[in-house]
Amino acid sequence: MKKTFALTLILALLMALVSMPLSAQDRWDGADDLAVNPLACGMGDEMMEDSDEMMDEDADEDMGMMEYDGGQPAMMDDDMAGMDIVLVDVPKLVGIGYFAATTLGQQQAAEELGNVSVTTDAPTEANIDDQIQVIDAYITQGVDGILFAANDPVAIAPVLRKALESGIHVVGYDANSEPDAREWFVNQAEFNGIAKALVDSLADQMGEDAAFGIVTSTFTTPNQARWIAEMWAYASECYPDLTWLETLEAQEDAVLSFQQAQTLINKYGEDMDGIFAMTSVATPNSADAVQQADLCADVAVVGLATPNGMKPYVNNGCVRDVILWNPVDLGYAAVYVTRAVVDGEFMPGDSSVMAGRLGELMVVNGSEVLLGPPFVFTADNINDFDF
Amino acid sequence: MQSEPRNPTVVEKLRRHLISQEGVLFIIMLVSVLFLATRTDKFLTVDNLLQQGRFMTEVGLIAIPMTYIIITGGIDLSVGSILGLTAIVLGWSWQELGFPLELAIGAGILSGTLAGFVNGLFIVRVGVPPLIMTLATLALFRGLAEGISKARSARGYPEWFFELGQGEFLGIPTQLWLLIVAVVVFGIVLARTQLGRALYAIGNNETGARFSGLTVNRYLLLIYTFSGFMSGVAGYIFVSRVSTTRSDMGTGIELDVIAAVVLGGTSIFGGTGSVAGTMIGVVLIQLLKNGLALSGVTSDATIVVIGSVLIFAILVNNFIQTRRGGN
Repeated sequence: MKKTFALTLILALLMALVSMPLSAQDRWDGADDLAVNPLACGMGDEMMEDSDEMMDEDADEDMGMMEYDGGQPAMMDDDMAGMDIVLVDVPKLVGIGYFAATTLGQQQAAEELGNVSVTTDAPTEANIDDQIQVIDAYITQGVDGILFAANDPVAIAPVLRKALESGIHVVGYDANSEPDAREWFVNQAEFNGIAKALVDSLADQMGEDAAFGIVTSTFTTPNQARWIAEMWAYASECYPDLTWLETLEAQEDAVLSFQQAQTLINKYGEDMDGIFAMTSVATPNSADAVQQADLCADVAVVGLATPNGMKPYVNNGCVRDVILWNPVDLGYAAVYVTRAVVDGEFMPGDSSVMAGRLGELMVVNGSEVLLGPPFVFTADNINDFDF
Repeated sequence: MQSEPRNPTVVEKLRRHLISQEGVLFIIMLVSVLFLATRTDKFLTVDNLLQQGRFMTEVGLIAIPMTYIIITGGIDLSVGSILGLTAIVLGWSWQELGFPLELAIGAGILSGTLAGFVNGLFIVRVGVPPLIMTLATLALFRGLAEGISKARSARGYPEWFFELGQGEFLGIPTQLWLLIVAVVVFGIVLARTQLGRALYAIGNNETGARFSGLTVNRYLLLIYTFSGFMSGVAGYIFVSRVSTTRSDMGTGIELDVIAAVVLGGTSIFGGTGSVAGTMIGVVLIQLLKNGLALSGVTSDATIVVIGSVLIFAILVNNFIQTRRGGN
């Protein structure tokens, strides 16, 4: 018994040692050490759009340096321009609201275009191997194009390359693959764009000298770490008076998220004006903690979340802004991009593409199509969404 | 109930084979394949079938020790987690600890073997029921994999590493050779050696086997360790096939494996079963999955069909075996 205890103790000590040097020196806890690229400062919606256009221009200039790095399908001889095409959409999984929304957008686009048919088929669990097998079957079956949201960027690459080799067009959305395994990727939001929207919202609600805490998943989760790093960069440039109090880890766990938000409230009391919640689990639960503490007016919760979970708090006014992107538009854009590629209207090296009701979408990072600035769900629009 | 008489003559064997579990299942498989082939001409092609062989190798490899274990009346739910742990140890020791890749592969498979050994040790020494023990390690090994990898994946392996998972040897996917060799060797081990007979004896009557002087504990420890080892090898093949390591690799694979084994005629109560039957189960499930997908059935409908076929096959087999037992 004693031995086991001693062993556990040593193990715990070792783990503590390993995890110690992880926190970056002057960045907020939970941020990674990668290079940051903060957007230009700006406040409010109009300014935000302006600055995003500015960013797009920057991106255009970058395009000169950042060459198209996507792949190309083999056998381009049979011209499919304007002809009816059959696309298959393979999201990470089916049966969840988020991908039901992207599917809805794809169907809208298909209906508008009239010469595209899209079917969605994917595993019922987000499993890389099942997804590979689904795509492989569609390659064998023969389709004109594959839309995908990758469960893993590297694991999915070989089967996508096989699709390209078979002359099938490949366009990704939501979750990217290795660039050369697909032609284009519709990027729903860049890290710095999300970071800017979050920080702007807090500064707008609670003032440019607000103090805030962060509830994240873990310090090492790649997306969250990237967002926090970009938030740190943007805030230190644009809102130097914002005070960061503490970042707490809550995994992606509902109970823990609630407790961590409560910890922040109890620990900092009136000194804290806001909470950033970095996951779609942390955001509703932080809002719940604030609401139960009766602090809706004093602590602004700003977070990334899907609308359904946030409707109660947005509709009763406890939370003003929920930041995400619009998955309906995301699916819609993916179909338009594929159509344009098939029609030969959207070629490597182009700097923008027309996507129906979304207008002109910019190319960034070589072979990515940026959907636009993040979407802000408010009491005005949140009830229009169901995912 | 007495154990089946082992008849040495070839003719009688043939007749027995036709109405054996494997025989019935084989007929069901043939019917399914013929049916699927009429639905789409993309299904029954050499390329497609070989590709399916590639996809089913991991499940097939793990299904061999699972057959052994289920024959003894046990179960191993942790195989998927061991696969994930192996993959992570392989990627992590290579990328983070700087092991040469060959050594990292060894370390990965070794950790899988060790994980299986831990299962066996607790089952044999502490007497934890296999279902409980491996349910616990299902969570534990997956947790370890996530902890070690910190949810990061290891990528960028050199080209030679993919040979096993993505390459071909004599026109046949490399890993399929491995599966074929493993099936032949371990099929013979089960059917023709003392070890195999001991496993059946344990499954039929463990207490009896102990009193007959069989070293039951040693056999059990061996097969759970073997299960860990094979899950480790499957983990290596998986990483080589999908060219990255993730801690969620192999999630749920235990259910595919157990389904194939049980479909293949191995009794979940122990005592009967064969590697050949298991392999027919593996192949049948994979071909159904693929054939239905190719005929335009969506994935969610496919799993419903596979579930139904599973129940149907087991019912038919039960019916025939009961009739045969009555004669």
